[in-house]
Amino acid sequence: MKINIAKYYPLIPVYAVYLTMFLVGFFVPGLWQLVALLAFYCALGQSWNIFMGMTGYVDFGYVTFIALGTYGMALGITYFSQFPGLGIAIIFIGLLLALFLSTLSAILEAGIALRLRGAYFAIACIGINEGLRHLIEGAKIWGGSEGMLYWKELTEVFGTETAIQLTTLWADIAVFIIAAMAAFINVYYMRSKIGYALTAIREDEDAAKVMGIDTTKYKTIAFLTSGWLGALVGAMAWGLKLTHVFPADVFVIHYTVECIVIVVLGGIGTLLGPLVGGLIYGLSKYWLAIILPGFQLLIFAPIIICIIIAFPEGVIGVVKRRVKGTRLERYII
Amino acid sequence: MILELLAGNLIHGLLLGCVYGLSTMGLSLIFGVLKVINVGHGPFIMVGAFVTLAMVTIFGTAPPVAIPAALVVGMALGFAFFYTVMRRLIKAPEFTTLLVTFAIGILLQEVVKFTFGAEYRGYNWEVGKIILTITTIPMTKVYASIGSIIIALLLYLWFNKTRIGTAVRAVVEDSEGARVCGVNVDRIYALSFAIAIGLTVMSGVFLTMFIPVGINPYMGGVYTLKAFVIAVLGGLTSPYGAFFAGLIFGLIENGAYVLFAQIPGVAPFSLTVSLAFWMLFLLLLIKPTGLLGAK
Repeated sequence: MKINIAKYYPLIPVYAVYLTMFLVGFFVPGLWQLVALLAFYCALGQSWNIFMGMTGYVDFGYVTFIALGTYGMALGITYFSQFPGLGIAIIFIGLLLALFLSTLSAILEAGIALRLRGAYFAIACIGINEGLRHLIEGAKIWGGSEGMLYWKELTEVFGTETAIQLTTLWADIAVFIIAAMAAFINVYYMRSKIGYALTAIREDEDAAKVMGIDTTKYKTIAFLTSGWLGALVGAMAWGLKLTHVFPADVFVIHYTVECIVIVVLGGIGTLLGPLVGGLIYGLSKYWLAIILPGFQLLIFAPIIICIIIAFPEGVIGVVKRRVKGTRLERYII
Repeated sequence: MILELLAGNLIHGLLLGCVYGLSTMGLSLIFGVLKVINVGHGPFIMVGAFVTLAMVTIFGTAPPVAIPAALVVGMALGFAFFYTVMRRLIKAPEFTTLLVTFAIGILLQEVVKFTFGAEYRGYNWEVGKIILTITTIPMTKVYASIGSIIIALLLYLWFNKTRIGTAVRAVVEDSEGARVCGVNVDRIYALSFAIAIGLTVMSGVFLTMFIPVGINPYMGGVYTLKAFVIAVLGGLTSPYGAFFAGLIFGLIENGAYVLFAQIPGVAPFSLTVSLAFWMLFLLLLIKPTGLLGAK
């Protein structure tokens, strides 16, 4: 099989930006936390874009995946730290559990919500998120609202030195890797049959169905991929990095809204969009928190409203129109 | 014993259900007319609570005096947001409307937090109570539910007996058809949005009459979620459907709480909230048009 390299050209600017971010964070002292935050937002944006950007469905409960990913990592570390000799494997068990839990929730959501459209879909997704959160709190599953703390277990397995390294360095590096993976999957889907099917669904689902596209299948593929990536981000950026999880902290719709804002700022359904949006959003949030602590949301809310009304296509949407017909075109999608 | 407890709670549930019903009518009206889900629904209820708080603590009036004030504040907010923001989003894709209404909600929360502070507040309004053998009902709760029923009835009359009300129903059915028939659809959009927000803010007053404590800028979130469940239960586009669904929801919520409280080792309050959502899924699976919806 001949692989067409040209269709992966748009990855070049994306990976260039990620590499620059990584190097800046690694070699400039004091910037690692900021870079890690930016990588987190970019990874989330890329992951979210795979489903929502391509299908036009608004998964308002996307944070469910991130939250369950966090729980997967928490469970992996808490329960498997009791077995001696597993060592670093417990992190991978945590990731597997994150994938497992997010698959379960994706099946649940696909069964209930993906059959619905528009308003009903959005409401069902929010409902699943809140339903799970309150079930965990109410039935006292996994510690209920007291959550789980597992720094102790982590240090018992790895020793304090390695545990600190894992949580402060390797968790963030993993987020970079997930972001890169998400970007690759984005391009792969965009340039394959899946992407065309998803675009057809976004434009007119009934017509797509009539044309013989198995809409449920492609929607489920995109939904699962997007959910898995979200769960991995959650497992690493929250689960491993923070070493605690509370239902009231992770099942928060605000994070979904952040994903949407990031993708919309950059440009929905584009590859570079979530990256640019993540950088703009992360940086401005960071600076606002320094300049005007406590007022970020008060300033952000009207800005978001204005941007959505004035530039619904986002930064990359505008750039894409500008570079049309030039040699830059093949690098920017 | 448990039956008495259950019966007592169900009475409270029925009373609270009226207020829930009123608080959801605005959401249904906005969805019916504009086809927009107002994700920032709860913060408007919170605004109503703060209108009451301001009237009671600053002007020293009784809480019911806040009802007309809340209507005025709500309609003013409704017109303001409609003409600045919502007007541009009528035929826009879904994510924009969701994002914008959510941002409006955040804006309201932050503005209120900035002016009133983030701490929990409450007020006191004693007007006697009805003592039954199984339970005691403060009169404030009775007034709140009677008030809600009256407002809902007024809305019903407005919808069915006035020309403008009929025009609103026409727009809900088919906005293009209504336009062809000479209805000024844009004005109907503005008016219904304002009335819906007015209703929502007003329901905040009744809610604080019901639960006069715990007023804070972030209290709205939980009501947004309840309103979603109730609205779907009622068929999403029908304000009266929403009102009756509110009654059902109030009954189930309070009844389930009593039953869950009997199970040892669980947090009954969270389980009740969770139950509401599993109910929602069941409904979406079986009958997505709502229990009281058409078809």
